[in-house]
Amino acid sequence: MKIWDNLIEDIGKLIPEDVECEIKMINSTESLTRFANSHIHQNVEEELTDIFLTFHADGKTTNLNLNITSMGSIEDIIKKALSEIGNNPKDSTWPGLTSKENSFNGYKDISPDDPDIRAQKVKEFIEQGQTYNGAGYCSSNVSNVFVWNTNGLNSSDTATSAFLDGIFRSETSAGSSHIGNKILSDIDAQKVGQEAFSITKESQNPEDIDPGVYEVILGPDAVSTILVFLSVYGFNAKSKVDGTSPIEINVEQFDEKINLEDDPHKKGALNFKIDASGAPKKKIEIITNGIPKTFFHTRRTANELNQSNTFHEMFGWGDSFGGLGTNLYLKPGDISKEEMISNVKKGIYINEFWYCRVLDPITQVVTGLNRNGSYLIENGKVTKPVGRLRFTQSFMSSLGQGNVLGVGSDSRFADSEFGEGILNVPMLHLKEFNFTGGVSG
Amino acid sequence: MFNEINKSIDAAISSGAQYADARILISKSRDISSKDGELEDFSNSENMGLGIRALVGSSWGFYATYDLSDESLKEAGKKAYLIAKASSKVPGKDFPLADVPIVKDEYVTPHKQNPFKVSTTDQIDLIVSSTHEMKKIGSSRAFGRLNFWDTEKWFASSQGHEIYQNIIESGGGISSLSIGDGETQIRSYPQSFGEYRTGGWEVIQSFKFLDHVERISEESKRLLTSPQCPEGTRDLILEGSQLALQIHESVGHAIELDRILGWEAAYAGTSHLELSKLNEHKYGSPLMNIVADATLPGALATFKYDDEGTPAQRVDIVKEGIWKGVLTGRDSAAIAGVSPGGMVRADGYGRLPMVRMTNVGLLPGDSSLDEIISSTDDGVYMETNRSWSIDDLRLNFQFGCEVGWLVKNGKITDMVKNPTYTGITPNFWGSMDMLAGEDEWIFWGTPNCGKGQPSQIGHTGHPASPARFKNVRIGVRG
Repeated sequence: MKIWDNLIEDIGKLIPEDVECEIKMINSTESLTRFANSHIHQNVEEELTDIFLTFHADGKTTNLNLNITSMGSIEDIIKKALSEIGNNPKDSTWPGLTSKENSFNGYKDISPDDPDIRAQKVKEFIEQGQTYNGAGYCSSNVSNVFVWNTNGLNSSDTATSAFLDGIFRSETSAGSSHIGNKILSDIDAQKVGQEAFSITKESQNPEDIDPGVYEVILGPDAVSTILVFLSVYGFNAKSKVDGTSPIEINVEQFDEKINLEDDPHKKGALNFKIDASGAPKKKIEIITNGIPKTFFHTRRTANELNQSNTFHEMFGWGDSFGGLGTNLYLKPGDISKEEMISNVKKGIYINEFWYCRVLDPITQVVTGLNRNGSYLIENGKVTKPVGRLRFTQSFMSSLGQGNVLGVGSDSRFADSEFGEGILNVPMLHLKEFNFTGGVSG
Repeated sequence: MFNEINKSIDAAISSGAQYADARILISKSRDISSKDGELEDFSNSENMGLGIRALVGSSWGFYATYDLSDESLKEAGKKAYLIAKASSKVPGKDFPLADVPIVKDEYVTPHKQNPFKVSTTDQIDLIVSSTHEMKKIGSSRAFGRLNFWDTEKWFASSQGHEIYQNIIESGGGISSLSIGDGETQIRSYPQSFGEYRTGGWEVIQSFKFLDHVERISEESKRLLTSPQCPEGTRDLILEGSQLALQIHESVGHAIELDRILGWEAAYAGTSHLELSKLNEHKYGSPLMNIVADATLPGALATFKYDDEGTPAQRVDIVKEGIWKGVLTGRDSAAIAGVSPGGMVRADGYGRLPMVRMTNVGLLPGDSSLDEIISSTDDGVYMETNRSWSIDDLRLNFQFGCEVGWLVKNGKITDMVKNPTYTGITPNFWGSMDMLAGEDEWIFWGTPNCGKGQPSQIGHTGHPASPARFKNVRIGVRG
């Protein structure tokens, strides 16, 4: 890409020999068409080119983040950074730069989608809702990332993604569905709309049930929320460094049916094949037969914990966040949704969680609510829709040994509290889940 | 700069938009974080770009670019129009924009010391020494953070607005984490995630972090050996920063008109409030007086004009317990038939402006925290937020705090850990029977309010003083 080539050519000439420098660039076009009350009300596109510079000299480090317009003279930027760096204390955990041999060229010149295509997908979704009130979004993104450093590394990659996420609302209910794909035209808007419509219709006139411990079947978006919380607060090695992670490597902490891997090379994976250090990512087992196998590492956390780097540094996030897997796949089982329901004596089907927050990171006790489709299941059959419930439940225990009764056979990209496209998951059947409040508090 | 913006606006209008407005921003920010007496992260950021929105029929089209060349500015205007026009495949009803004064003006946040002109050594030393002291005293982990923003924005519209504003914000905080056997306990100052205001380096100096490191370090350690907060229904006394978050979640979001109109239904949710019940609905007790006031000097959401060019103002939201007002933009106000309140802002140049809380605060009462405690027979006093969750109607909530103190027969007795409380919005606010006065009224700031798709982070203010709530369910655990 011309902007990138010019940038590294100019900077490469101006960096003093005794200074280590790393440059990252994110160049993306993010487009999102939003609808509510069954019409498009917001339609946006942003084209950005952000530059992230890190300088390390005399044992000290400084970071400078700019966009291409605010950069001005490259010479001035380097002078400014190097004059400021002297004010900083020594960086005792500086992990060094990625070596030249890790260079990876994955850049592709891809144009953004036309807004008319997103509008058409929205139209097809809304038409499935008949008289119900539709709301949601259709997005499409093209993102290019680049990393260069004074070791001679020069890496790049391109990722595309498209999502359709929507709900329908009746007077007394709501139902949601979600789909993700690399290519907007491959999104089946009618299928997503039909699913949201069915859930809305079947969820009408919900009844309140007493809080308590119930068997649950969790839809993909609810499963995704549990796993993303465990990823950010548990498998993120920064949380281990900080002493707040409950994860113990090679200890049987989860049910043996839980198998989670991070695989950027899987067909259809939506996120980058390099991390923000510029190194190529590999397929990595995160949980195997219920046993945690590794944390998500950055260069710094790998050094601090004296473990192998897994190359999970995030573009656009600082060292204080840590690492995160972004191409996560929970291995499907062999049970269909119908079979799963038939296996429940008394339990609740939860389509989606809402507003989950951690009460204590080390126990992973989380509170949150259900929404957009919940049903009571009795003696293997869905008997009635249920209203709002508040849960207060350890997410570690929810996937703990003996608590996972079944894993669904179909999986899909799911939404989560930390964004979409990170996790591809099936449904789960859990033995116990603790609901602590109903609609009256 | 206005000449540049008008090139984009002219291109949108000549393409066919009925209205267009645009902003060029130069945004500077600085993040400094420290852990255990070491500098963890030091970043300076600066970006510049234009965001233009065009109205075609019932839909906004928005386009943002970093490229401020003449050709790009004109192209941005055309693209905003074309994006809005694409929405006509799924149209709604056309709407007018509510009338606002057409203004040419300038505003700079009052401040003493621009934080970007203060020595970075002083800034780093302050936060690193704070975490160093806590670690020395015995905190398992000591965290500190400072953040500064200096945002210059030029706003113009096809109706003739030309407004320049320079908003300066500063904030930060420190936390002590104690790790025990299978649990962690944390204490933070001035509040969880730090305290943020408009103003300069003097905001940080006013916090006097080093005066509080010993207390929060000792409290986080003591929590490990303290008993659990008891379960039951009793009186709840909330410290100001926790009450500020209670206001944010159960009032601030609920009164956003875009939510009430269903525009956020699929993501952030809607509201339990119905416009037909404005001026009738009982939101809380007669002590409850909430205003949205973007003119409060020093509060985090204080400015002179919002991102639609509407003047900042003070609007009654709840008066003596009765719901009186909503947070509006020019589009939503016109649809609902209410006055535009100057409450629309965007997160940077690259995001569509949307309804945002300003300083939504609870006006002070005539009591004091001491009086509230001395008149409580059986209750829990909770300080500093630790977790927050509320349903998408903003009705059913559960909050956790960092520390609780049992109150027996008018006196604070024991420290308790993992305090939580839960409730339903109108019942909870209806139970407020004591409210501290102006001496304890603080302009709490929330720098991390998420809303919208694509996601936007907003800065909101919530003035509050301590208050008591009767018969609240306390001590919910998993």
